[in-house]
Amino acid sequence: MTSSFFLDGKEIPFKEGQTVLQAAMGAGQYIPHLCWRPELEPHSSCRLCIVIISGKPFSSCTQPAMEGQKVECNTPKLNAMRRAVTQLLFVEGNHYCPSCEESGNCKLQATAYHVGMQDSHFPHQFPIRERDSSHPRVNLDRDRCIRCETCVRASRELDGKNVFAIHGRGIKSRLAVNSPTSLLKDSGISPDDMAVKLCPTGALTVKRVGFEWPIGQRIYDKESLATIELREYANQEAVHG
Amino acid sequence: MYSATATPVPDFLDLIPPERRSDPHALLQILIQIQHAYHHVPQEAAKRLAAEMGIPLVRVQGLLSFYSFLSPQPQGEYVIHFSDNITDQMFGNRELVALMCQRLDVNLGETRKDGRVSVHFTSCTGMCDQGPAALVNYLPVTNLDRERIERIADLVNAQIPLKDWPAEFFVVKSQIRRSDVVFRKPIEPGAGIRASLERGGAFLPEWAEDLAPSDARRHHLERGGAETLKEIYHSDLRGRGGAGFKTGIKWESVRDAKAGDHYVLCNADEGEPGTFKDRVLLTDYADMVFEGMTICGHVVGSKIGILYLRQEYWYMKEHLENVLNSRREAALLGKGILGTDLDFDIELQFGAGAYICGMETAMIKSIEGRRGIPRRRWPLPVHQGYLRCPTVVNNVETFAAATVISAKGGAWFAHNGTGQSTGTKLFCVSGDCERPGIYEYPWGVSVHEVLRDCGALDAQGVQVGGPSGTMINTQEFDRSACFEDLVGTGTLMIFGPQRDMFEVVKNFALFFQHESCGLCTPCRLGTTLLANYVRKFEQGCGSPVDLEELRNISGLMKTMAHCGLGQTANHHITESIEKFPAIWANRMKTTEFVPAFDLDRALEEARGLTGRNDSEAHLAPVEA
Repeated sequence: MTSSFFLDGKEIPFKEGQTVLQAAMGAGQYIPHLCWRPELEPHSSCRLCIVIISGKPFSSCTQPAMEGQKVECNTPKLNAMRRAVTQLLFVEGNHYCPSCEESGNCKLQATAYHVGMQDSHFPHQFPIRERDSSHPRVNLDRDRCIRCETCVRASRELDGKNVFAIHGRGIKSRLAVNSPTSLLKDSGISPDDMAVKLCPTGALTVKRVGFEWPIGQRIYDKESLATIELREYANQEAVHG
Repeated sequence: MYSATATPVPDFLDLIPPERRSDPHALLQILIQIQHAYHHVPQEAAKRLAAEMGIPLVRVQGLLSFYSFLSPQPQGEYVIHFSDNITDQMFGNRELVALMCQRLDVNLGETRKDGRVSVHFTSCTGMCDQGPAALVNYLPVTNLDRERIERIADLVNAQIPLKDWPAEFFVVKSQIRRSDVVFRKPIEPGAGIRASLERGGAFLPEWAEDLAPSDARRHHLERGGAETLKEIYHSDLRGRGGAGFKTGIKWESVRDAKAGDHYVLCNADEGEPGTFKDRVLLTDYADMVFEGMTICGHVVGSKIGILYLRQEYWYMKEHLENVLNSRREAALLGKGILGTDLDFDIELQFGAGAYICGMETAMIKSIEGRRGIPRRRWPLPVHQGYLRCPTVVNNVETFAAATVISAKGGAWFAHNGTGQSTGTKLFCVSGDCERPGIYEYPWGVSVHEVLRDCGALDAQGVQVGGPSGTMINTQEFDRSACFEDLVGTGTLMIFGPQRDMFEVVKNFALFFQHESCGLCTPCRLGTTLLANYVRKFEQGCGSPVDLEELRNISGLMKTMAHCGLGQTANHHITESIEKFPAIWANRMKTTEFVPAFDLDRALEEARGLTGRNDSEAHLAPVEA
């Protein structure tokens, strides 16, 4: 017996143990997210995937799907809040899209377009953050880090390395590297690590390939974020069930 | 307690048993020991612990940078932390800190060049009814005034060991001003457990059917706490930590949850500024708290309880260990409770300075030796809590109430209070009143009645439930403290007519910015933006647009933040805008928006160049 719930009135089937976000993505309904990855433990920190169930907000990446549940997702109020949360991420760091080699391949940028962000709205914080270019192949630019901990989880769960962690607290928290010198060059990082590949921004990049593809021919130049994410999720499901 | 010692760190670590040294769950507790002995955690200690525990060094460093009382950099032999709650501030802590720094010739937040002393601010230390207060080497010093500061500075400069300081500096009073039915006649140690055992009520949940007949958990369930659970249900007891979840449901969920060991955790991370009831309960009624945990263990089939105490209450360690020992001697704790085959024991664990650890799931992480970051909502701690096992987490006061309910019955307890808030509640009263301290009232007492009893009839405002609670003005003093109306931790901070409520708002805004864990976007950024806007108003540069922005950010945090901290860290903003509008209006350049230039006048030049003067060339309509 298959169960189903209702996402903005549309019936979504789900399997036992699936979250609202997984079931929605599986049914071709994109819900914005930045810290969630199908292959990683959900983290529930970016807060873009918030939905309303029985009048209360829940992160759909961690909320188990339940039979008959009515889930509000694509509402003007929630979309405005998602836009505001994205704006917060932009003003927290130093994101100079026009000069960033990830422009066009950046999920943060693509999300900003998806949620209809036209300006940063909030006062820029202009933080001073350390850059780590010590490694010959991998660059860590903390200015572009959105604290989603994708690399932390990917390094631990997929690469089996524990290269990254978060240090500090609150607005002062930052991405830290596990090495005797705290520098990437003395860590176990490799450019092939999923931690590097899955970074949704330009915080972790592989050196010397930044402009392999000209702007205009990059990932999110050709197709929308939602289309790509839904296809990737379907492929993932097809492989891993 | 570990005294400052010349023992090199590696030798010091040798004193810790190897099985503990290699257990990552003990990481935070060991770091606290090192911090106390060396006034910092040296890099070599961090490296050795990481190696022995088989964890990345970056994880050890992660704790050092998360908990306020841990420090990778050397602190002075005397580390002084001034409590910086609004009540401390109202009674002059800023002047006292300045005096202390001047007398010691040290900058705030720094260590003196000779390594003798460091002076810091810290969040509320729970001494609000006897502030201004500070911690000297993690021991509370209360009732600070200029004279006491000067004496402390002299003692530090003369390098007098703390044990030779005047004992009166360290006196912490309980100041119970009013007792009601629960605390007027405390329950004798053991009475609650005896009642629970006599009541009986065997109940073996499915998960326990496979347990060996000798398993202590099986004994608990077979000896039955089922009848006591019914009494908890009858009492309609709700959690005293602020959220008000029904205790009976929580206990039953844990009892019936599958999986192996069950745990009973007591949350004594009393971090909500203005709150100090747990401190008083653990000082004067520790037996009732420990007994409540034991009864809970009996009901849910657990043999291990942990009391998580905030670092600010480190001074209570010896006292609490003594109480635990006397309970063990009286067969109220340990193996074979009261001659039965029931086992239950309680250990103490300490926090290290993080308000967020008062949050149930953050506390669990902290007890597991991790950074106190709130977990995701599912699975709930009753199913997967401490070490992913079913776990009861209750507040100190809730466990004390459970003891009373077991001894006297649920109906007796429920006789007091209101429909949805049964029993009595301890209220922490501080600020501008004649008699600050602890007051026990049945739920439903009006703010006005408390103000009358504590001598604060000229109050202009009260913060109920701490900074995350509700700010009320004189119009609302007839509101009552209960889950139907003003909920929270039972904290009343009173502000007299002479106070500037904006200072209250600013203190709270900076507190939340400091205590946000940083996990989720809305709270990490929201608390910072709110604090920045408050500073803007402080400089007299606010505008109505900024007020609108403060409301918007608050709304965003309320809906989008991950946990209760972020969802409530904006209450002081929205409520002060509504209830004390003048404090904001007084700090605006103007109450009307006036742009820096006149756009229509700027178009005049363009009109001249193009020779146009029709209505389309004007912003404002013009007469034809």
